[in-house]
Amino acid sequence: MQMPQPNDNPGDPEGVVARSSMGAAELREGSDTVEGEDRPQSTPAPGVTRAPEVGGGSEAAEPTHPTKVDVRGLSLWYGDTQALFDVSLRIPEKDVTALIGPSGCGKSTFLRCINRMNDLISAVTIRGQLLLDEADVYGSEVDVVQLRSRVGMVFQQPNPFPKSIYENVAYAPRIHGLAKKGAEMDELVETSLRKAGLWKEVSDRLSMPGTALSGGQQQRLCIARAIAVNPDVILMDEPASALDPVATATIEELIDELRSNYTIIIVTHNMQQAARVARYTAFFHLGEVIEFDDTDTIFTNPSQKRTEDYITGRFG
Amino acid sequence: MSDDIEQSFFKEHISQRFNTELEDIHSRVLSMGGLVEQQLIDAVSAMVETKFELAEKVATSDYKVNAQEVEIDEACTEILVRRQPTASDLRLVLAVIKTITDLERIGDEAERMGRMALHFLEQDRQQGPIEGLGEMGEHVHGMLRGALDAFARMDVDQAVRVAQLDIQVDSQHEAIVHRLMEQMMKSPDAVPRAMDVVWTARSLERIGDRARNICEYVVYFVRGKNVRHTSYEQMAEEATGDRH
Amino acid sequence: MAANLQAEKRIRQRYRREQRFKALCIGAITLAILFIFVFFADIIQRGYTAFYQAQIQVEVTYDERSLEIPAAAVSEEVRPLVSRGFLRQVPGHVQSDPDLKGRTVTRWVTADTGVNQYLKDAHTGLSPQEKATVDKLHEAGRIEFAFNTNFFTRGDSKMPEMAGIKSAVVGTILTLAVTMAVAFPLGLMSAVYLEEFATDNRFTRFIEVNINNLAAVPSILYGLLGLAIFINFLGVPRSSALAGGLTLALMTLPIIIISTRAALRAVPDSIREGAFGVGASRLQMVTHHVLPLSLPGILTGSIIGMAQAMGETAPLLLVGMMAFIPSAPDGVTEPATVLPAQIFTWASMPQRAFDELTAAGILVLLAVLLTLNATAVLLRKRFERRW
Repeated sequence: MQMPQPNDNPGDPEGVVARSSMGAAELREGSDTVEGEDRPQSTPAPGVTRAPEVGGGSEAAEPTHPTKVDVRGLSLWYGDTQALFDVSLRIPEKDVTALIGPSGCGKSTFLRCINRMNDLISAVTIRGQLLLDEADVYGSEVDVVQLRSRVGMVFQQPNPFPKSIYENVAYAPRIHGLAKKGAEMDELVETSLRKAGLWKEVSDRLSMPGTALSGGQQQRLCIARAIAVNPDVILMDEPASALDPVATATIEELIDELRSNYTIIIVTHNMQQAARVARYTAFFHLGEVIEFDDTDTIFTNPSQKRTEDYITGRFG
Repeated sequence: MSDDIEQSFFKEHISQRFNTELEDIHSRVLSMGGLVEQQLIDAVSAMVETKFELAEKVATSDYKVNAQEVEIDEACTEILVRRQPTASDLRLVLAVIKTITDLERIGDEAERMGRMALHFLEQDRQQGPIEGLGEMGEHVHGMLRGALDAFARMDVDQAVRVAQLDIQVDSQHEAIVHRLMEQMMKSPDAVPRAMDVVWTARSLERIGDRARNICEYVVYFVRGKNVRHTSYEQMAEEATGDRH
Repeated sequence: MAANLQAEKRIRQRYRREQRFKALCIGAITLAILFIFVFFADIIQRGYTAFYQAQIQVEVTYDERSLEIPAAAVSEEVRPLVSRGFLRQVPGHVQSDPDLKGRTVTRWVTADTGVNQYLKDAHTGLSPQEKATVDKLHEAGRIEFAFNTNFFTRGDSKMPEMAGIKSAVVGTILTLAVTMAVAFPLGLMSAVYLEEFATDNRFTRFIEVNINNLAAVPSILYGLLGLAIFINFLGVPRSSALAGGLTLALMTLPIIIISTRAALRAVPDSIREGAFGVGASRLQMVTHHVLPLSLPGILTGSIIGMAQAMGETAPLLLVGMMAFIPSAPDGVTEPATVLPAQIFTWASMPQRAFDELTAAGILVLLAVLLTLNATAVLLRKRFERRW
């Protein structure tokens, strides 16, 4: 029997609201100390200023994550075609943020802006700011190679190098001069493979070619390869779309383990996957960020109609 | 505003069958609601107008409501499993699941009222009308109909209005109980009869609460806000919040 | 029922059409195989006799007279039967071995081409008397067939029995060495630049189109170009392996560029992305990942380009490599000839004996080409990779 007894409940919503607005204030303060009050208001993304704690039970005790990647009014053109329109997002540190949206909505393009993979394509024009730890990724003094050692990437199709498993993991540390050959490198390879949850499966066959592994293992090898240089951010471009459900579950479990140490940004077509792994979700449509919010909110009560239409399967 | 929400509840999905499935559970809730409503009407008039046959009918036909609840429940489970609904679809299914639980309980209360009426009428058929009970029954019935109406059109404003009617139900209940207490204190002989009426009034009061719950589910579906265990003011505020 | 019958008829017709088409295809292949078979059979049948040749056992007198007139070294009876090429060498024998002076030595010497032709049942210019002598000596075991070492150890000669393919082989090796030394690095670099570094703009597309067109230019034009640039302008010695090699390099370059680009393009972009993704520079991406993966393909393409260059005659005509080269060249600047040119020279010789030499030369050329192509196929098979 539910009697209407407002304000009598210990877990009443007023308390939640108060907590949440406090967190929001902190978040705003944290980034404003550096960049001032010129945040573009172009996107209707309520989650931008929202505290991550909202709706979180036990997680509410954790401190608010500062912003890791701060995107301000980012626009991108492929030649004459505009692919991103004034995207603004604040991606919090050390948690999982999912980017969802229909094909060609710009989510992968956006992801590739973060480690400047779009530089590889000629005739790309980028306007706006993309700050990683408050430093502009597109600044003139930024070395792309250095940037990519801080922002690792995992691709849709598992793409281990056609070399041995060991070589796959050791390659990046070697070219960045992070470990010396021999015991030091062996250790780094082992830790990386352990972090990627692959060590037990491959420890006795490190000289086997990485391409001989199963799809899921290959993808975990790619994750090991990415974390071997200990990046701050890991970008994942549909990391499980080529895998079967079991391998997908393993990757998702791995993402869950990595979330406390890395800022993970994952593009996915699979909305259930976004719902499972991500704490925050941004919905892209036609090159714009339509909505950015807690994953819970996006999937139960999105504030934008286009988000709702997309996640409920009403497009087309 | 609620009209165009209604227009797009179940429509516009790429999967036409999904549309149909959602429409189906929604309309089945309404038909279950109709059944429950009839049960309530019959139970009240059996008591107030001392109709023995109606009381018997009410007391024995709750199984129909129960069967419907099980059916809708299964349909909802199937949608959850097969469609993995999100956002408004998810909220609709959740609202339906909760609504049918409440409707089933209302059915139970109506059945209990029917049994109470049987008991009551067997004891004494010559008693005059019970003061206030008919009025309260009417009121609760209005609430239930209003709630079902709000649910049918997913009309938040109506839901808020109907939910507020519960205040009157509560006061009517208190008035009836108060009056009967006085009667019982005056003449102890009246106690068994009065108790039946008290229980009936109590059932009506609960039905009012459950009708209010249904209104809350309407608000939950449309606004995505959980307004249970909140004040009416807050509920009204959440319900009028701008959307889309 | 009627519809059923019609459907059945349609199906039968379809099957018949398929059968007819299949038969046509099989016919085409059979014809092609037949041509190849006839060609090989003809060449082998005509050429195999060149690999053995008649030797004659004669007494060679190394005296004062024979040093002055080498023909006097052997008895008059067998003199027309002995290769004049051998008789010319008689003073040389004494020079290299003074002990021989004044002695008479019995030795096997190369017989004249007439003896060869007579014993191989071909047309011969021997007189009936000489034929009788040959028969007599043959029965006595003083004329025998032996493996034709001259063919592999000597250069060109006006005397068929003394003509060999060695100078042409050495010339070919030197020419191809120059060709590959120039064309491979140039082609590889160009392809890598175009494929991995260049941005896609009007200029690079213009270059691409032109490279594709160059591959289709008739090879004789490369000869003209080589003549104009290398010989007349840069002063490279005419008919040298250097001139020929550079000319062939010009011709092979587009082929190598195109095949290298194809090999590079066969490396999936995911590998490049993976390399960039872990922070490799473009150079590291190319040298650590793309080149090692595409090397088999690049080598295959280059070998095929080389094989094509090896069979080329037209451009070499113009830079003077159709020369008569009796001794193998010692360096790339010396006059040289190449296998196909040698074959052409022999084919245009009036003597009938050169017929079999031509066929034998073709066999050698074919053997080398097949070996090269087989290497290419092996490389491709060996390193074939699937992604």
